Amino acid sequence: MAAIRVLPDDVTVDSRPGETVLDALSRSGFGYRTGCTRGGCGICKVDLRQGSVSYTAATVSDQVLPPDERAAGTCLSCRAVPDGDLTIELRNERLRRLNPYLTARFESTTKKQVLRNERKRPWE
Amino acid sequence: MGVMRLGYVHTRVTDLDDARRHYGDTLGMKAVHTEADRVYFKAWDEFDHHSVVVEEGGVGLVKMGYKVATSDDLDLFERRAQQFGCLTERMSRGDNVGIGDGVRIVLPSEHVLELYNEAEYLGSEVGLVNPAPFPRHLVGVGVPRIDHCLVTAEDPDTLERFFSEVLDFRAAERVVEDLDGGGLLGSWMSCTTTPHDIAFIKGPNGKLHHFAYELSDWYAIKNAGAIFTMDDVPVDVGPTQHGITRGETVYFFDPAGNRNEVFSGGYAVFPDTPTKTWTVDQLGTGIFYIGRELSERFTSVLT
Ligand code: FES
Ligand SMILES: [Fe+2]
Repeated sequence: MAAIRVLPDDVTVDSRPGETVLDALSRSGFGYRTGCTRGGCGICKVDLRQGSVSYTAATVSDQVLPPDERAAGTCLSCRAVPDGDLTIELRNERLRRLNPYLTARFESTTKKQVLRNERKRPWE
Repeated sequence: MGVMRLGYVHTRVTDLDDARRHYGDTLGMKAVHTEADRVYFKAWDEFDHHSVVVEEGGVGLVKMGYKVATSDDLDLFERRAQQFGCLTERMSRGDNVGIGDGVRIVLPSEHVLELYNEAEYLGSEVGLVNPAPFPRHLVGVGVPRIDHCLVTAEDPDTLERFFSEVLDFRAAERVVEDLDGGGLLGSWMSCTTTPHDIAFIKGPNGKLHHFAYELSDWYAIKNAGAIFTMDDVPVDVGPTQHGITRGETVYFFDPAGNRNEVFSGGYAVFPDTPTKTWTVDQLGTGIFYIGRELSERFTSVLT
């Protein structure tokens, strides 16, 4: 399990092994600007500030994520799987709380406030 | 007789197995021919060899094929395309599996369009003698046929002129900046009796917005939407109704991120049907008559 910290909102969510960055965030009730969610359009690009990701869940086309962009820290979030804890930064937007009822943990690191639900997460 | 219809769409996909599952199991097309890096699919109510080709490597549109009635049409359209200033080349039987000789044209929008008048005949899945209304063993959505493509173009005006002057398409509906001679932002053009066989909206050259399958009715559209959820297909918009063309629709993405559509309804057009006009301030209503809002995703996701 890796922690994904999202800037500029400074929210941290957990990700399950093999899960993409986008999936982990939406499983925790968060959304941001996305398109095809299948690696084809590039709309979901974010900047990788710390840590690294792999594209193991599916093939990613160089056409969508050119190697130089990837090397410069662009992360195609709908296909990127965290290698470990990481920090990403959204491009000109804020995280949206789409499902306020979700039970997954998220943590606002600025407020040092941890919202944790009673319900045990099944993967723990 | 001219251009008869959209015959095939050839797209790139990142993973052939994923594409096979999507176009084969979810949409219910039949794989009629397979090569190392591509699969050719046919829908059940189509007669010619194939209508969708998926090729591994990248995303987006490789080319669109439109079938013309005669080989004289090929000569005519080739000549007119050259006069229009387009690059053309001849293609020969077998360049595309199951497709005869033809003319390849690079459109003013940089898309590649192929015209051909012969294709290997495979027949529909219900035959021609006392045919059943649909085959018994359809899989997934069970799409009967492909219907149209929507692409983006930097200069819709020139592309509309190309389709009308070179290929005799007629604009069924247009979107303009304003009614007093404002610039063209999109055009839905017909060579059949349906309101669009090709459509384009302003945007980058060479990109695919979507290609569409025709379904029988609204009920089929709704069921397709449910199947997309069962198969974890990301739905972009719908089920809803278009203002432009009046068709019912679900937009969704294939596993490489190319947008597809299932479409039903719409109205009939004839050579003397007048063109309808939408003003850009009503574009949201034009595209989604119910909802009246363009999502950012709808306007920005292209492959
Ligand atoms: S949402 Fe289209 S590439 Fe990620
Ligand atoms: Fe369409």
